[in-house]
Amino acid sequence: MKVTVKSWTGVALWKWIANDDNCGICRMAFEACCPDCSFAGDDCPLVWGHCSHVFHMHCICKWLNSQLNQQLCPMCRQTWRFNDR
Amino acid sequence: MDGTWERLKVLFPVISSSLAESEVTKENIDSIYLELVSLGVLEEVSQLICIEIDKTLQTQVVPEFWKIFDTNLDAQSDNQARERCEFQLFRTTVLQLYKKFQIINRMLERLKYLYEKSGTKFIYNFDEIFKSVLLSQLPNNFTKLVYSFYHISFNVFINTKAEEDDDDDDMDQLRERDDCDGCEMPTARCQCQELVTAFGEINLCLTRMGLLDRISGYTLTNLIQDEIYGHIQKTCRGIFDTQHLKNLEKWLDTIVLEWLTRIFNNGSAKLDPSNLKIRESISYFQKKLKYLLYEKYAKTIIDQFFNIIIEFPDSQPAIDDLKLCMEKLDLRAHLVEVLKNSLETRLLHQGVETSDIITGYVATIKTMRHLEKSGILLQTVTEPVKEYLRKCRQDTVRCVVTSLIEETPSDLSEELARSEAIKAEENERNQDEMNNWQDWTPDPVDALDSDKNSAQNRRSDIISMIVDIYGSKELFVNEYRNLLADRLLTQLDFNPEKEIRNLELLKLRFGENLLHSCEVMLKDISDSKRINSHILECSTFTSEETPNDPAVSALIVSSQFWPMFKKESMELPEEINKLFERYKKSYEEYKGNRTLCWTPLNGKVNIEIEINDKKLDMTVNPAQATIIMHFQNQKEWQLDQLSTVINMPPSTLRRRIGFWQLQGLIREAKENTFILCDENHDQAGEIETETNVVLDEEETMVSANDQREEELQVFWSYILGMLTNLDSMSLERIHQMLKMFASQGPGFEFSQEELKSFLQRKVREHKLVYSYGVYQLNKN
Ligand SMILES: [Zn+2]
Ligand SMILES: [Zn+2]
Ligand SMILES: [Zn+2]
Repeated sequence: MKVTVKSWTGVALWKWIANDDNCGICRMAFEACCPDCSFAGDDCPLVWGHCSHVFHMHCICKWLNSQLNQQLCPMCRQTWRFNDR
Repeated sequence: MDGTWERLKVLFPVISSSLAESEVTKENIDSIYLELVSLGVLEEVSQLICIEIDKTLQTQVVPEFWKIFDTNLDAQSDNQARERCEFQLFRTTVLQLYKKFQIINRMLERLKYLYEKSGTKFIYNFDEIFKSVLLSQLPNNFTKLVYSFYHISFNVFINTKAEEDDDDDDMDQLRERDDCDGCEMPTARCQCQELVTAFGEINLCLTRMGLLDRISGYTLTNLIQDEIYGHIQKTCRGIFDTQHLKNLEKWLDTIVLEWLTRIFNNGSAKLDPSNLKIRESISYFQKKLKYLLYEKYAKTIIDQFFNIIIEFPDSQPAIDDLKLCMEKLDLRAHLVEVLKNSLETRLLHQGVETSDIITGYVATIKTMRHLEKSGILLQTVTEPVKEYLRKCRQDTVRCVVTSLIEETPSDLSEELARSEAIKAEENERNQDEMNNWQDWTPDPVDALDSDKNSAQNRRSDIISMIVDIYGSKELFVNEYRNLLADRLLTQLDFNPEKEIRNLELLKLRFGENLLHSCEVMLKDISDSKRINSHILECSTFTSEETPNDPAVSALIVSSQFWPMFKKESMELPEEINKLFERYKKSYEEYKGNRTLCWTPLNGKVNIEIEINDKKLDMTVNPAQATIIMHFQNQKEWQLDQLSTVINMPPSTLRRRIGFWQLQGLIREAKENTFILCDENHDQAGEIETETNVVLDEEETMVSANDQREEELQVFWSYILGMLTNLDSMSLERIHQMLKMFASQGPGFEFSQEELKSFLQRKVREHKLVYSYGVYQLNKN
């Protein structure tokens, strides 16, 4: 007997490579989107801070905009700086 | 003195208890007058005569009349013969009574003459006395003879009428019978004419005696009631596609009323405009009978309402008729009771499939909508159906969702397609309601209290009514999501345009929010296509490509929006694993910070199998592909051994090998040892055939049965798999699915009946549970 695979369609879940599962601001899974979005992934990306904390980009931007003077990470209170990985 | 008495007896035979007729001249009366006056006994004698008349009435005339009514003719075998006898009896007895009535009246005239001659006023109201004596002795069931009398004459009458109206030759040919339709006598001895004469004669007698109303009125009403009922049954029963009401009214106004007029109007159908009394009683009858007609007809329709529902919309005319009747009579309570009852007996029991109950429910909605716009009756009537579906049928939601999105048009899928129009209508209506709030009318009082705010709800469409069964949109949407996921992951002929269209329509019904995840799911599918073509072209992927690589593609899903994926794992074949790793690497490169987690058991595989000089082209699931690929290099496997290699629990693996057994490619040579059915290799198979050959006739039969059983056993593992995944399935569905898989391999014929007995055995063995037309695994 000879078996030839002509085509194989697999199913995969996509995942963010991050050291956490949920966004610390909106509490949603990273693979879900922030409350303002309808679609996750490309439409609602993650961003990393130098402090190594990760958030939905929309969530951290909203957070930073609401801060008056200092731009602090909501998790560790260090000055927030984007990490362009 | 003696001479006077004798002469008196001739004039008034009643004083010797006789009602014999006598020839009397004016001279006779005058001379007896003189005699009585000279004897000074005129007054005494007159009183005596009156007393004697009373007595004769009491003891002779009336008892003799009523005695006839006691005649029991029930022993007559032939109903028509009995009726004819009764007709004649009634006729004779009425004629006799009338004769006596006349004789007494003549005596009274003489008496009156005597009185007036003496200048005294004669006060003796015989008509009243006659009536009251007669009625005081009224027997309990005197109506039988009366009924027969009028029944026969009614038949004769309508037959004559029919012949008058009948200018159609075809009908005459149809009527070529031996018996006359009117009198039921052989045509040669037709008695219709005599019957008509007798009928007129008797009615006239009764009228003259002032008895027509009292003796015939009640029976006439009953008879006509029966005739109306019979006529409706004969002309309307089971025919729903035409309106009958107009014809029925015409029949009543012409045939029945003309007959009645003849009875009350001395045999003539022409009413003298000045005869107010008869006109009045005829028009009273007319009103009363018309109501009766409406009621009988409406009830006939209501009794058949379930069939009307089934035949809707062809049965619309019947409902239009019912509507007209219900404008005149309040039959709501009756309709609710009857319909509830027939829905319960026809739909709500174990023998009816859930999908059929839903079809019935939808048909009821449509039919009742046509009857009553407000939908209040509908709510009341369908309450038990909803409750039953809610409580006793767990597969309701699935059935509904399936038929909503089914390829073949169903009531529900058509309804879904109408969503846009309905939405527009709704908006318009809301607008109208805002503008016309003054025209608001309250609901009829029989609206269910629990539905105070449901006026909107009631008016809305069938799909809302269906969702209403559960009162929760979420439940339906969830089920839809599961079905959609199922289709997207497994269905080979997935049609994205159609799914997107369905989704858009469902969004109109259930709102964007609830269906958002479904939208993401569909977007994942289209995104995957793009990502796929990008990855297949990127250098990371292509650089390691070898000519033998299968075409690979991936469905990349957003886990948060899909129903939960099964946690089950499996070790993919080495070459596929490598391919997937490469794919994953390319994806990570493409998307940055994102990676893929393969779910090895999902997806589909197109394989070509070359075996025994045959080529099989098949589309299978990854597990099936993985299993058969392992048999390529090793023809014989122990279950445990393969289970370890593939990383799949033995019981699950055995079930999946079943698929290949079904295809005739693998067999279980001995317990837990599976062998590829490869001709070049498989000697065991030959040996097995040889042993079969030596068996004698009887044993071959058994062996054939055993083999059948074995084949079905192969199905068993498959059925188990289906029921694990789909939870519950009907016999038809299981049969269909098995046939679908069987048809891909070497032909395997089996009937639904065979499958049924097999499944029933599994039920007896407590491996399956059967209820409400579906099989489920026994989870205990
Ligand atoms: Zn967030
Ligand atoms: Zn967002
Ligand atoms: Zn931080």
